[in-house]
Amino acid sequence: MELLGAVLSIAVVGFFAGAALSLVRRDLGYATSLAASVLLLISAVGALAGGAFQGLAWSGPLGDPESLGLDGLSAFFALATSIVWIATSAYSLAYDDRSSPLLAFCYALTLGAIALLVSSSSLLLFLIGWETMTLASYGMILQARGRSGRVFSAAFVFLAFGEASTLLVVVAVAGLHVMSGSFVEVPVATAGAIASVVFVAGLIGFGLKMGVAPFHMSEWLPIAHSSAPSNASAVLSSTLTLAGAYGLFRVLSLLPSPPPLWWGAVMLGIGAISVLLGALFAAVSEHTKGLPAYSTIENNGLILVALGIALIAHADGLTDLYVFALFAAFYQALAHAVAKSALFLSAGYIEHSTRTFDLNSTRGRAKDADRAARLGTVAAALSLAAAPPLAGFVSEWMVLEALFQSYRFSPEWVQFVGLLSGAAVALAAGLILVAMVKFLGFSFLWKPKATPASPRASGLAAPIGAVGAVVLGIGVAAPWLIRFLAPTVAAFAQAPITAPVGGLLSVPDGWSILSGSPFGILSPPVVPLALAAGAAVALGYYVLGGRSATRRVEPWMAGSPPGRDGETYTSFGYSTGIRIMMRSVLATREVRTGTGAGTPEERAAPFAYNVDLEVLDVFKLFYDSLVWFGDGVSAALKSGVMSGRLGRYLAYILIVTLVVVIYVAAAA
Amino acid sequence: MRRPSWRVEPSPAVGGEATARALAYVPDDGRFALYNDYAAGVSVLTLTAPSPDEGGPAALWRADTDRTRPHALAPATEVDGYGIFTFPYGPISMGVPEAGRFDVRTYGERVLNLVPVGGFKSRRIRETVVGRPVADAALLVERMAGNFSASHVAAFLEAAESASATEVPTAERWVRGLAQELQRIYNHVHVIARVAEAASQNVGLAQTHALAEEVLRVQGAFFGHRWLFGALLPGGPARRLDAADRHRLAERLGHLAEEFERLWLLFLESRTFIDRIQGTCPVSRAEAVGGGAVGPTLRASGVAWDDRLRIPVAPYNDLFVPLPHETGGDALARLIIRAEEVRASFLILEQMLDRWATASTGAEPAGSPVAPGRGIGRVEAPSGDLVYDVRVTAGKVDALQLRTPSRANWTVFAAGMRDAVFTDFHFAFESFGFVFAETDG
Amino acid sequence: MPSWIQQSASRGILTSRYPKDAAADEEVSPTGRPPLPVAGVASLPAARDSCPVGAISDTAVDQGKCIRCARCVAAGLTFTGPVEAATRSRDDLLRISSGPVPSPAAPPPLARLGRSLHLFLVDVGSCNACNLEVLALANPYYDVQRLGLFFTNSPRHADVLLVVGVPTPEMAEPLRRAYEALPGPKAVVAVGACPISGGAFAGAPGLVPGLAEIVPVDVFVPGCPPSPTAILDAILKLNGRDRAARGGP
Repeated sequence: MELLGAVLSIAVVGFFAGAALSLVRRDLGYATSLAASVLLLISAVGALAGGAFQGLAWSGPLGDPESLGLDGLSAFFALATSIVWIATSAYSLAYDDRSSPLLAFCYALTLGAIALLVSSSSLLLFLIGWETMTLASYGMILQARGRSGRVFSAAFVFLAFGEASTLLVVVAVAGLHVMSGSFVEVPVATAGAIASVVFVAGLIGFGLKMGVAPFHMSEWLPIAHSSAPSNASAVLSSTLTLAGAYGLFRVLSLLPSPPPLWWGAVMLGIGAISVLLGALFAAVSEHTKGLPAYSTIENNGLILVALGIALIAHADGLTDLYVFALFAAFYQALAHAVAKSALFLSAGYIEHSTRTFDLNSTRGRAKDADRAARLGTVAAALSLAAAPPLAGFVSEWMVLEALFQSYRFSPEWVQFVGLLSGAAVALAAGLILVAMVKFLGFSFLWKPKATPASPRASGLAAPIGAVGAVVLGIGVAAPWLIRFLAPTVAAFAQAPITAPVGGLLSVPDGWSILSGSPFGILSPPVVPLALAAGAAVALGYYVLGGRSATRRVEPWMAGSPPGRDGETYTSFGYSTGIRIMMRSVLATREVRTGTGAGTPEERAAPFAYNVDLEVLDVFKLFYDSLVWFGDGVSAALKSGVMSGRLGRYLAYILIVTLVVVIYVAAAA
Repeated sequence: MRRPSWRVEPSPAVGGEATARALAYVPDDGRFALYNDYAAGVSVLTLTAPSPDEGGPAALWRADTDRTRPHALAPATEVDGYGIFTFPYGPISMGVPEAGRFDVRTYGERVLNLVPVGGFKSRRIRETVVGRPVADAALLVERMAGNFSASHVAAFLEAAESASATEVPTAERWVRGLAQELQRIYNHVHVIARVAEAASQNVGLAQTHALAEEVLRVQGAFFGHRWLFGALLPGGPARRLDAADRHRLAERLGHLAEEFERLWLLFLESRTFIDRIQGTCPVSRAEAVGGGAVGPTLRASGVAWDDRLRIPVAPYNDLFVPLPHETGGDALARLIIRAEEVRASFLILEQMLDRWATASTGAEPAGSPVAPGRGIGRVEAPSGDLVYDVRVTAGKVDALQLRTPSRANWTVFAAGMRDAVFTDFHFAFESFGFVFAETDG
Repeated sequence: MPSWIQQSASRGILTSRYPKDAAADEEVSPTGRPPLPVAGVASLPAARDSCPVGAISDTAVDQGKCIRCARCVAAGLTFTGPVEAATRSRDDLLRISSGPVPSPAAPPPLARLGRSLHLFLVDVGSCNACNLEVLALANPYYDVQRLGLFFTNSPRHADVLLVVGVPTPEMAEPLRRAYEALPGPKAVVAVGACPISGGAFAGAPGLVPGLAEIVPVDVFVPGCPPSPTAILDAILKLNGRDRAARGGP
């Protein structure tokens, strides 16, 4: 067992040890998790740079060889998760002030489970990690503060969807076993019906964890993730969904290639719907954690979009697009996981200083916050809104560039799917900007209410700031990171490929990302350089040209005194336009309670009433009707078939016996 | 001569008949009340207003405690709910080029409730005129609302003259009528221009704006002042209304009438323009009557009521006065009414200039005082029924009360704006022809 | 649409050539010009009592107080003063000559801004006539855009505040806010007798008797209301492009 293998093994075992230690002392658990995350990061970087390796190995209960190890694919996901965990673990040290050690315990356990499933080389071990992750996460959500009824129901919904997911993952694993005859993760060559069953089961099973439409929506992921404590939310939304993505990538790497065309098309369609709905719901969310949770749906949808394009391009033999779309999928996964953790951490920071999650009452109250928290949140939110030169900008650009090339697909109906998906993704890019501006504006940026300054918390702020710096780094250094990831992607694509980087115009070679062959070009390092140059000119003018006196004036509000309580735009008002425009999807309706508003006489006279503009979700309505239908069917079965009358049951037994007798007689 | 179809009662009519009447309006100060029974075509003015406790009709609006402080001009409705906030618009904005504020209750995009707030520009005219000779007081009264100056002065003089039972030369009444009709044309054209501006009908705006300027120039040329200040008072800028002038005036008005006719037809053909105002800020007949609307607003909601016909004094008792009314109640209906009234005013002016020499001779007595030394003056101002209640002692004003059309229409405007979207605001607001200046006084 | 074009074309060019040419009588009604004594200063004491606002003293006619009611016409004054009656100092409004306003030594306050100015209208208690006269500047007869003058919707984008009306206590604070909101260099024009002296409302209880008590005033335009041409002249005095500066008579 070489050195890296030992480091990895210590890391994985370390998380579980941390879980045990946290029962002794909370801080100890988080500190151990932090140390284990650092080790995991080291081993992941080692694997990405130097190739696959193995750590602990043993023989499984079914005789299969089982081991911990990292290949390129798992190393990539270990990299993304460990970056997030370093931040969340450091944050947790300052954040978790609960009397019970259960949160710390479940936290470390969740991390260990994810580390285990990522680093396992056997599907059985993967399943064990998967189920442990679900249960431990359930435990974390239960630690939420708030009305216990709501917490319980959120945790239960999470568990129900989690178990449904496990069930389908088991189906996928069984299918793989049928095809390869082993639980070891080895690619299978033969395509066929079973491969398609594995694909569908995997897509739905892992899609459930990623929260993509229509397995998601206003129900489990946002509610469950936003109900949890903030450090848990960050872990869930960034890395638990990332585990889902890893599962999908892994299953795809094992399935025959090139895949049938419809796999990619289905994935692309589901991804595009998720992107649009996630962005839409994020834009109308008023919850400091619900909003980023919906944004998670959008981002995971983008991963599916990129993957879908890659599969279609592979099936169509468009190698350059196949490779580029794969890079886009990887980059999107990395960019989202890192940036999203900062958003949840800052939601916790906002809660710490304002005691609320409601964006309508946080306006400007975090304005006096620690600089690290403000800058980190700005970087992360802008990254999720795809603002240059941040990580999310690069990945969103790559996804869009890949989508633009869907005109190369054949036959036409796939082009059509690509076209519609492109429109959905473009619309979502606008909506998510609204969401992120809202998140930033109503928490960190806009003019404070006339409330006293909120308390600071530098222990919470530092990890947020650090993540912000990483987000910037992933964005600016994108061409080099992409080249660093090239062997991993090559292994995944099972083809010798070159990273889509190059140079053009006067940009040096290797400083730019090229899409297609080549279709478009982007140079992330040049963007901040250009910005810096502009800033330098402005600064120079300011300093040399004689700085003019700064005069501060209050905002102009048509002559009225600005910013009086109750007279500033609310976060809700900021996105009402979207609620009204998209009422067919959001099922927006206005509920009025109170007196008057009916007859003309009443309208002319003074009256008082209450207005609530409610937003539902067509999918929620769909699920509700499913539940209603299911209840109806089961009630009908209960009264009709399972009537409880002895005579009826005797008749059933008789019929079954007769059928068996006839079948056996016919066979004989 | 037709009988005036309105009467003044010194004390409130309490009981079945009064409470059954459609309109109950208690003005700001509560010193007099006006009841219009549109079904019977009668309006009753009582000099002391009954409170609801005293058995009078429900007061739609409480007395403004202090007109000189910002105060709501329409019933405040309490709307609350998640994310709802108040959006203050004003008192300084180019959209509403006067000092007034609107408190918009909203959850974004939609107006859940709108409260006009006045009192920013009270120039204390009601207080300042006390003790001044009628002619000097009139200098302030005509500045109650610069663009309704002729109506205000006419109503004020009418009230003051009847308070002191002065005899008025018929010619003077004709001049007042002439001035009022000219100013009505200006104001209606101006309103159409403002609505066109809101709808970005830029060619239409320019053309209508030019027409309004031409009316101002006519006023300047024949009355010595573009806004008719002083024109109806003794010693004012020389009016030029001899035979030759009247001929020239008739000629210029003829051109303007043709011009207006062409413009209005073009507006009616502009689908984008009509679409924008159709259904905007609707005021039903019941709302208009119940909310105490007056003038074009009332006529656009299906009530044919015009003081020029109801109060037949010279010159209107001798002329044909068309009475257009519409039933739509929306901004379009109000605009159609205004356009029809521009036509009507051109027609009235034509009749007046035609018959000037024969009709405007002699003198006629003023209306009798409603109480010793107290007179009521009532005219149809461009935006509606304007009432002055003036007490005069020894040629000096003792007290001045008034109910202006702008003040009367705020309630239905606020009701019509409920559930509208923000962008409807300017179309709605401009279509009523409000003047904050006369509201605040 | 074609019919609108036809309509516009059929009207020809309406726009005045002011300030290149002098304002025509058509543009300025008689009361748009300041009153002057026909027989010189000596006749003023006799005319003094005819003025309801006390604008006539024994030695001068205070144009800043005059509300153009024309009562003094019978006492020997006529509306024959120059249309360009706006001055940059309050004292200059006490003129009786019919010649052009003496140009002050100081350069125009907004000369730095070149030819284009952005205007913002603030009503602090007017009768609405001045508001409408200011807005009339945008109509085709005056069309001030040809001179680089534009109305803005926010003081944040404006160079010039056009203040109309007699300042009420309620509007003092909003006015101060609007003035603060203007970026520099900026200027204030007091449009009409009301903001200069209270006009017809001078002496009313509670009103501020002059705009200058709240914000500094750069140009005073007498009149009740001043004609659009007079207002235009006042605005052009801010950047030195008025008729007098162009060497007009």
